[in-house]
Amino acid sequence: MSALPWLVALWLFAIGFYGMMTSRHYVHLIGCLSVMQSGTYVLLLAAGFRWGAGPPIFSDHPPGTPAVDPVVQALVLTDIVVGAAVTALLLALALQLHKRRGTLDPEELKPMRR
Amino acid sequence: MSPRARGILATLAALALAPGALAVLRAMPAFGDHPLPYGDAVNRIAPAERIVSNMVTAVNFDLRGFDTLGEEVMLLAAVVGTVVVLRGSRGEGVGDRPATCGDRPIPPRSEAVVLLCRIIAPLTLLYGLYVVLHAQLTPGGGFQGGAIIGSGLLLVWVGEGYNAWRRLVPGVVLHALEGGGAGLYALMGFGAMLTGAAFLTNVLPLGEWGSILSGGVIPVVNFGVGLAVSGAFGMLFLEFLEETREPKDGEEP
Repeated sequence: MSALPWLVALWLFAIGFYGMMTSRHYVHLIGCLSVMQSGTYVLLLAAGFRWGAGPPIFSDHPPGTPAVDPVVQALVLTDIVVGAAVTALLLALALQLHKRRGTLDPEELKPMRR
Repeated sequence: MSPRARGILATLAALALAPGALAVLRAMPAFGDHPLPYGDAVNRIAPAERIVSNMVTAVNFDLRGFDTLGEEVMLLAAVVGTVVVLRGSRGEGVGDRPATCGDRPIPPRSEAVVLLCRIIAPLTLLYGLYVVLHAQLTPGGGFQGGAIIGSGLLLVWVGEGYNAWRRLVPGVVLHALEGGGAGLYALMGFGAMLTGAAFLTNVLPLGEWGSILSGGVIPVVNFGVGLAVSGAFGMLFLEFLEETREPKDGEEP
C-alpha cells in the first residue's frame, strides 16, 4: 500500500474540487477550499516521511538518530497558517455579501439576473 | 452557465487531466523510502550549529527565517483585510452594549458552563504560553502556541459573555500584540544588520543545549510570532463577534 498516501492526497483534492464545482452556498465553498488544501498537507507530509525514523525533534533522542524531513513539516506549518488566514478573510467577504444581497447562493448572485 | 453545463465541463476537464494525474501517481517515489537531502542536511547541521532540538523551528525561524517573516506579514495583511471588510462603515467605534440578535432573547449562561470555562480558560492560556516559549525544544512554536492562546481567549468569551470579554481583552491590546509581534520579528532582522551581519543573521549567543533561551534569535523571533498570532486570532474573534450585535440607531451595519 505504498501508494495510499498519494491516493489520499489526490482524493482530498478531487473531492474538494467536486464540492466547489457543485457548491450552492459560499460558506460550503470555503469549506471545500479547506478540504482541497488538506490534500496538500497530506502530500507534503507523505513526501517527507521515512520508514523507521522518529520526529525531527531531538529532545528525547540524541541528534543523529534517523528522523523524518523537517523542511516539509515547516512548509505544512506555513500552509496551515496561510489557509486559516485566507479562510477568515473569505468568511468575512461572505458575511458582507450576505448583508448586501441577502443570499450566498452563487446562482442567485449573478449580476445580470438582478 | 447552468449547473448542468458546469458539471459536464468539469467532468470533461477531469477526464482530460486524469491521465496526467495517474502518470504522476505512478512516477511518485516509493512512500517512506526515498532520499531526503534537505531534511537530512538540516537534521545533521542544525542541532550543533544552532543548539536547538526542534528542527522544524530551526527551519522556520533561522534557516528560512526570511520566508517566515513574509508569512507573518501575509497573516497581518489577511487579518487587516478581514478587519477592514467587516468593519465597513461601522468605523472604529466598538461599544460595550450587550450582544443581541434581533428580537431573540438571550438565555442566561448555565453555571456549569461558567465554572468549566473559568477552570479551562486560564489553563489553556497557560498551555499556549508554554507551547510558545518551548518552541526550540519540544513540538510547538509561535504559530501553534498563538493559536492555542486564541482558543483560550474564545473560552473566556464562552464563559463570561461579550461584555466581560471586551473588558478583559481590550481591542487596543490585541492591536498592539498583532503589530508589535510582527514588528519584533522585523526589528530582530534589522538589529542583526546593526552588527554588520546580513538580515536576520543569528547574532545572539546560542546558549546551552536544552535551555529555554538556547538558539540565539530563535526564541526572540518565535516569541514575536506567538504574540502576533495570538493578537491576530483575538482580532478576528473581536470583529466576528461585533457582527453578531444589532446596529444602534443610525449606525451602518
